[in-house]
Amino acid sequence: MKHLLKQVQKPARYMGNEWNSCRKNHAEMAVRMVLAFPDLYEVGMSNQGLKILYESVNSLPNALMERAFAPGTDMEKLMREHDLPLFALESHKPLLEFDLVGFSLQYELSYTNVINMLNLAGITLLSSERSESEPLIIGGGPCVFNPEPLAPFFDLFVLGESEEFLPELLTGLIELKNQNLERSEILTRLSRLEGIYVPAFYQTLDNEGQLCPLKKIDPGSPDLIAKRTVTDLNSTIYPIAPIVPYLQAIHDRAVVELFRGCSRGCRFCQAGYIFRPVRYRGREQVVKTAKEQIAATGYEELSLSSLSSSDYPGLDNLIDDLDQALVKEKVKCSLPSLRLDSYSIKLADRLHRGRRSSLTFAPEAATERLRRVIKKNITEAGIFSALGDAVDAGWQGFKLYFMIGLPTEEEADVQAIIDLCQKIRQYFRKKAKSKINLSVSVSTFVPKAHTPFQWEPQLALQQVIERQELLQKGFKKMPGVELSWHDPEASFLEAVFARGDRKLAPVLERAWQLGCRFDGWSENFTFIKWQQAFRELNIDAGRYAYRHFRYDDILPWDHIDCGVAKEVFVREHQKAFSNDAPEEGVAQ
Amino acid sequence: MTRMRFKFALRDSLKHLSHLDMMRLFQRSFRRSGLPLAYSEGYNPHLRFNLAVPLPVNVTASEEYGEVFFSEPVTPEWFIAVLKKQLPDGLDLTGAYTVENDASLLPSLVRAVLYRAKLIASLGFKVIPGSYHTALESLMSREEIVALRARKKNKNAYVNVRPYIIEAFFKDQECNNQLELNLMLQAGSQGGVSPFFVIEQLEKELDDNSLQKAYWDLSREKIFFKNGQ
Repeated sequence: MKHLLKQVQKPARYMGNEWNSCRKNHAEMAVRMVLAFPDLYEVGMSNQGLKILYESVNSLPNALMERAFAPGTDMEKLMREHDLPLFALESHKPLLEFDLVGFSLQYELSYTNVINMLNLAGITLLSSERSESEPLIIGGGPCVFNPEPLAPFFDLFVLGESEEFLPELLTGLIELKNQNLERSEILTRLSRLEGIYVPAFYQTLDNEGQLCPLKKIDPGSPDLIAKRTVTDLNSTIYPIAPIVPYLQAIHDRAVVELFRGCSRGCRFCQAGYIFRPVRYRGREQVVKTAKEQIAATGYEELSLSSLSSSDYPGLDNLIDDLDQALVKEKVKCSLPSLRLDSYSIKLADRLHRGRRSSLTFAPEAATERLRRVIKKNITEAGIFSALGDAVDAGWQGFKLYFMIGLPTEEEADVQAIIDLCQKIRQYFRKKAKSKINLSVSVSTFVPKAHTPFQWEPQLALQQVIERQELLQKGFKKMPGVELSWHDPEASFLEAVFARGDRKLAPVLERAWQLGCRFDGWSENFTFIKWQQAFRELNIDAGRYAYRHFRYDDILPWDHIDCGVAKEVFVREHQKAFSNDAPEEGVAQ
Repeated sequence: MTRMRFKFALRDSLKHLSHLDMMRLFQRSFRRSGLPLAYSEGYNPHLRFNLAVPLPVNVTASEEYGEVFFSEPVTPEWFIAVLKKQLPDGLDLTGAYTVENDASLLPSLVRAVLYRAKLIASLGFKVIPGSYHTALESLMSREEIVALRARKKNKNAYVNVRPYIIEAFFKDQECNNQLELNLMLQAGSQGGVSPFFVIEQLEKELDDNSLQKAYWDLSREKIFFKNGQ
């Protein structure tokens, strides 16, 4: 192992032993868990959920949580050559020696990494074939709101927020293990806990190439699996001494969550629905946690996280308080997810005293009509008034996020992205008398489960490519503007698995066999292997991405209750396509 | 204002860190320590701190040097006592002393570094010292050893690094199946060469039969400064 690390890129990925990492004696613990993140160390260590769960489990006296990440392809090769099984970072013990392995499921294109990590750990891939001595394989995170493509690989899923639930689950598991129960009996007992989904207790009903609905085969399991939520952010556990990676993580800073959930209700946004209701962390609590984190980590930057920072009540007061609390430490604050309005610009301005490099905003669509469809209610006049404030404050650059392929979108809406950016450029040149630095990032709409657009098809791959070409052509002649876009084939696959059912599990396994790993990384993504996997299994991927569902279709995720009634999605879906006057999306 | 120079050793468990990882490690340890750090002026203040010369990845070190500035008086004893508590296992603070405010910056004083590279045979194999001695002789007798240096804008430059190898010799065998190469290399602003590059060139001088199942373990023993500082 020590020798192997000299031969890989960034060996610090596999070292462990970071500041604030937790070393516990395995022999003294009643239950041992690994949190497995199916991406590289530097991506996983940027995930706030991982840090929260690490704190919540390791604060228990009789349980430990260690971490494992997907090894880079160079490390994987060496591990396979030397028969080195996947290990946890803290103790370097193989995953097989733990009682549970919990995967953080954040992104559909990390699914082949899940399978690869199980295999590298020497764990049987299919839940139904796993032996008594193997760890329980559990899954959590946003992708669990439609876990079906992964269902056969998992013993159970945990639905919703786990920082309070996971300690409860582990305590329950300790009791069951003490009774020496069999694996299947343990799963049965655990399935009675609210928030637990044991996929083996639900069978797929095959109906001739259609979607595959589920039938419950264990009468004691719930018909609808409810999600777990934390009631009060102020009293729940939150990391005050998070691990400080040696290697630079993608987000290498202290993070305090301002609030969870979002009241905006943008119709494409899954996070906006599955994290409801909106719960705030009080100002004092935010300041206290920020101070503690900075003291315990030595970070030079603090990020205040939420889905829409501008919606935090009393945000300006909070910034004053934080300023005062952290001025001596010279900590830089950043506020992601700002709205494009004057209030937000003024806040950003106060945060970034002195250094005004670039402001980031997400108009998502370039025409007011399309913004109304997706319920991103900002007007063009509003955009320009906010930009005016930003220019006055001395901002030199902007980063804008757009989406293409949104429902009802036409080529004119795509052309409007080019036109809007051109207008912004001209406006800037006139007002600031200098060249603008504009970065435009265009992603492709992916219909997600538990959103009003869950019934909508994704735009056909060929058309996505054409619209991207339209943008590339349009921006070519625009100096000072940098365009970036997502791999259209990767977005297609994302849609397939986001709306997929259990029949896709063999495709995942086959794609993994063919060598697919790190599909979210364009340098690794090989669409042709995926096409081969679908072809071999005789599955038409397009049916998943392009199908226009009807309201009375049974959806693959219908047994998962995200806390928002289907009627709400139907109503929002209908409203999107009516030409009603815009409504302000702040109803709580 | 206090200028503090300090010495540290880096053990096996942290040798995989890059220079930038080390910089971050120290900066965050300083910030956690609560010592009165001095920051640079300007819009984007940063901590005034530097390490004498970057340590290559996968190399342990016996005596490295760093330097940090404080806005208020700090004694070496206080500095050591407070900082030690903030350093991870594998990084040992071995000494500290203050220097005059007008002293040159530490990196500008570096002249040479001494590496000790151990060649260790893999299990079931033997190191044959003779072939390595011959290879080293042949390498050192060359007038030019050319290294490719990547430059900006895809332009490459070739540099003769032979003059940067001040001294290279195998220490007499102490124990079986191990060879120890001592490498004194130029370092600092005058130019330098990576010990791994020298070893790579050395291995190229070996005839194929002598290329053995063995690996190198490197440590940096000493940094030499201008005027023996």
